[in-house]
Amino acid sequence: MEKENIIEVKDLHVDIKMLEGLLTPVRGVNFEIKKGETLGLVGESGCGKSITCKAILGINDKKCVPHGKIDFRTVDDKEIDLLSLDPKGKEIRDIRGKQISMIFQEPMVAFSPMYTIGNQINEATLLHITKDKKKAKEISMEVMRKVGIANVEKRYNQYPHEFSGGMLQRALIAMALVCNPKLLIADEPTTALDVTIQAQILELMKELQKEFNMAILFITHDLGVVAKMCDRVAVMYLGRIVESGDAETIYANPQHPYTRGLMGSVHKIGGKKDERLFSIEGTVPLAMNLPKACGFYDRCDARIEGLCDKAEPDLVEIEPGHQIACFNCPNAACQAQRAAAEARIKEEEARAAAEETEDKKGGKKRGKR
Amino acid sequence: MEALKDFFRKDLVQYIIKRILMFIPTLLLISVLVFFVIQLPPGDYVSAQISALASEGELVDADYAAAMRADYGLDLPVWQQYVKWIKDIIWTPTDSPYYRLYHSHHNWKYSFAYGRDVWSVVNERLGLTIAVTGIIMIFQYLVSIPIAVYASTHQYSAGDYISSIIGFLGTAIPNFILAIVLMYLSYKWTGSANVGLFSQEMLKNGVHLYNFGEFMKRMIIPIIVIGTSGTCGIIRSVRAQMLDEVARQYTLTARAKGVSEGKIVMKYCFRAAMNPTVSGLGGVLSSLFSGSTVTAMVLNMQIQGPVLFKALQSQDMYLAGAIVMVQAVLVVIGILLSDIALAFLDPRIRYSGGGR
Amino acid sequence: MAKKKTKEDYYLASQWTLMARKLKKHKLAKVSFIILAILYIAALFADFLAPYGLEDFDGLYKNSAPVQIHTVYEGENVGPYIYKLTKTINKTDFTITMSEDTSEYYKIKFFVHGVPYKIFGLLPCDLHLFGVSDGSKGGTGAKIFLFGADSLGRDIFSRVLLGARISLTIPFASAIISFFLGIAIGSVSGYFGGVIDIVIQRIIEVIGAVPQIPLWMALSAAIPPGISTIKMYFYMTLILSFINWTGMARVVRGKFLSLKNEDYVMAARLSGVSTWKIIWKHLVPGFMSYLIVSMTLGIPGSIVGETSMSYLGLGIKSPATSWGVLLQEASSVTDVASRPHKLIPIIFVTITVLAFNFLGDGLRDAADPYK
Repeated sequence: MEKENIIEVKDLHVDIKMLEGLLTPVRGVNFEIKKGETLGLVGESGCGKSITCKAILGINDKKCVPHGKIDFRTVDDKEIDLLSLDPKGKEIRDIRGKQISMIFQEPMVAFSPMYTIGNQINEATLLHITKDKKKAKEISMEVMRKVGIANVEKRYNQYPHEFSGGMLQRALIAMALVCNPKLLIADEPTTALDVTIQAQILELMKELQKEFNMAILFITHDLGVVAKMCDRVAVMYLGRIVESGDAETIYANPQHPYTRGLMGSVHKIGGKKDERLFSIEGTVPLAMNLPKACGFYDRCDARIEGLCDKAEPDLVEIEPGHQIACFNCPNAACQAQRAAAEARIKEEEARAAAEETEDKKGGKKRGKR
Repeated sequence: MEALKDFFRKDLVQYIIKRILMFIPTLLLISVLVFFVIQLPPGDYVSAQISALASEGELVDADYAAAMRADYGLDLPVWQQYVKWIKDIIWTPTDSPYYRLYHSHHNWKYSFAYGRDVWSVVNERLGLTIAVTGIIMIFQYLVSIPIAVYASTHQYSAGDYISSIIGFLGTAIPNFILAIVLMYLSYKWTGSANVGLFSQEMLKNGVHLYNFGEFMKRMIIPIIVIGTSGTCGIIRSVRAQMLDEVARQYTLTARAKGVSEGKIVMKYCFRAAMNPTVSGLGGVLSSLFSGSTVTAMVLNMQIQGPVLFKALQSQDMYLAGAIVMVQAVLVVIGILLSDIALAFLDPRIRYSGGGR
Repeated sequence: MAKKKTKEDYYLASQWTLMARKLKKHKLAKVSFIILAILYIAALFADFLAPYGLEDFDGLYKNSAPVQIHTVYEGENVGPYIYKLTKTINKTDFTITMSEDTSEYYKIKFFVHGVPYKIFGLLPCDLHLFGVSDGSKGGTGAKIFLFGADSLGRDIFSRVLLGARISLTIPFASAIISFFLGIAIGSVSGYFGGVIDIVIQRIIEVIGAVPQIPLWMALSAAIPPGISTIKMYFYMTLILSFINWTGMARVVRGKFLSLKNEDYVMAARLSGVSTWKIIWKHLVPGFMSYLIVSMTLGIPGSIVGETSMSYLGLGIKSPATSWGVLLQEASSVTDVASRPHKLIPIIFVTITVLAFNFLGDGLRDAADPYK
């Protein structure tokens, strides 16, 4: 049952030029999402997941320069590279909100406090569906009802500060779904909410996904949420995907040391009573002037000295649909990559040594002259 | 229609009433402050003024002096003097000597410098002071807001830098100095310093539609001189506000919805940036009065500044106090109006009903 | 590894070090700071730097334009020198023209003895940075008026320098008074809250609503006529502080209110730290930087206030001199049109105000931990 890909992100990079140097929060990200599927993009804060999803819509800050390819299959079955569109142009604006929409982390600041919720939801309806104000209002209200907002007639004319956090998130979802998008990007939609509300919102999203038959790119750092929501998972670290595969596979058999660390830091029901939660030492380094090394090297408990600090592993397939980027894995594909990297490092070192002796000789010669 | 319906919302009306009620203690405090200023010069006010008149050869008879002293309540304790002063301003009965003399129920006392009752001196230039201030204020907003919006949407462009530099210069140069320089330039280029708001002809016939152009021409230098610092201030603050708003998350939400950049700026950012601008109205008005006072003397404008100066030179404190009070009250009215406007503009205030 | 060290440095550095570091990056603020430092040092050594005293005048030089400095005399380079002025009266229409008397030259000399003064009001001295020697043919009486002379024939350059002592220090002194008043009243308002807070807030609001310059002018009525320079200085400082403390108090109160409920204050309270210690060890350092910013940004207004009032004759009065007093010379159009050099003090006022504005802006950016 091979389903068609709705979006394919190919070798996406995002650079930010700063006074202090070039910041590279996203460094070669590849993934694809099939129709109706949910992909979980997991990682710590600062690993580049938000920037990746904003790059899809082209709504990153002006300073962020993306390159690579993001192929999106539109409603009329055409394939467009979203990155090739002018981020301020009409074409991408027609896709935003209509075919791809996004919900944000903090619903409390995602609405303008100056306008009513209804006005802000209706704005999308008016832009993409109908210019008829009466009809648009009906459509908007219908969606509000669908996301579980009670008393819509009254709520429609209320302002954001009159809504609770959970209600606002529902309104935000309504705003995203009003045009029946094919892809929904959810950027940590539940982190700012209470746990009970979280569960409700997730449940709602699942239901709506079925109803609207849309794909979801679910960004989170909460592995519990991933297990509940996602078909497939991609783990991101320092601007790269370090492991990806089916959710079940990754939960059952995490291969990358970072993923194993993440799994270890989740509470398990029925675990040993005084077992300490595992935590990964250190923090994500700043993605600036990165050395040519595995990004996780400093914090990794399975690092190979002399290799991991000198070469960066690529993503290789270790079993069908399961990829990791690590040298230290018994799988044949990884071992092959490791051998190649070691050979390359040796070669480079030999060359460097040769150049150094050459330099010394040259220096002496010059000194004599 | 919706705005009209909003207007009659109960909480909004309550908010406005609350604001107006808060206006009364503010007025009282202003009057206390002004009375404090009036009491500043050492010595007995009436005796000082009468001896000053005497030194100029104008003798005042003793009966008159005694009546004056009674009118000012100079033999009462200070707080009773204050109460009497306020009471006389609010209502002077028909049978009082003051009413018989000036036919007014509001006794603002007597100006020795002008030899008339204080209110007639204040009132003479009040209309023009308000008109001039109003015209300058309108110009300020008309000029500064478009520039600020441009500068904020084109951050770090040449236009942004130029407006920032001019903005800094404008707030830094004291405006009476600007007045001198402009007068000098006007004299050099046109041979006339363009001083005073009215031509001889206008002084004779008054300002009418046919010579309004001439009046506006004479307003050019005052508008530039008095308006510049405020204009630059508004540009700076609106620009900063806009930049703040542009960086807010809701612009991202709107962009993700497919709203165009222009509409994001105008519908969302501009609208939000207007709130602090409106609430700054009182401050702008206050700095206009402040700036126009000294400038009016340099440019010889027929507004209240020079009167205040003359009053202070001869320590005619009740006149000086009245002018300061009128200006302060006008500012407070400005603040009140901006608060009410803000209640319409900002839904958060409207519904919480709270102050700033 | 050097990079790591600087990073650690960054996290460990105190608030002040961070501020200083950020301020150094703010070029405009740095330049402004240097300019202000130069101005203040010049004011401190004004007696030495100024070739003439405050009241030294020369009737011959009334309203004369800035002196011309030459170097070549009759084809020979004799170093910097000036000419003396002569007055010629046109016999037919009785107009007076001033011209340079080129018959002899007067060399500019450095470290000359001149008008006696006291260093910092203590040590008597008569050394000046520069002056003119006697003429090449033994003549005397040439004056080096770099910025020209005023209507009494006094040196504007010297008077700008000597006037700076008042113009630059009054706003500063008033800022310091406002600083303490603001902390005291603001903390009372923020700490006690309730009725006291409401009353103080109303008073601040009212003082803020009254237009500044008219209020300053009206307050100047309190200065009794004919008092000594020092008393006048004192009164002016107080009058300027009368308005400025309100801004400071508002900052203090606001910070008090917002910091009172911060977790770290709560933590300190829970661990039994005394209220007094919480205020001084935890609250005040938390907003000290904001206070200094607010103080700096209040200074330009005071400078303009002092200058305006002295210009109108309501503030500092002769014989004491401030920049505002100097500008009285430039009050009529004809005066300014024929003798534009009288506008020179404006340049100093403007530069000082600008520099304080930029410095304040730089400090504000530096004090903001989120930038």
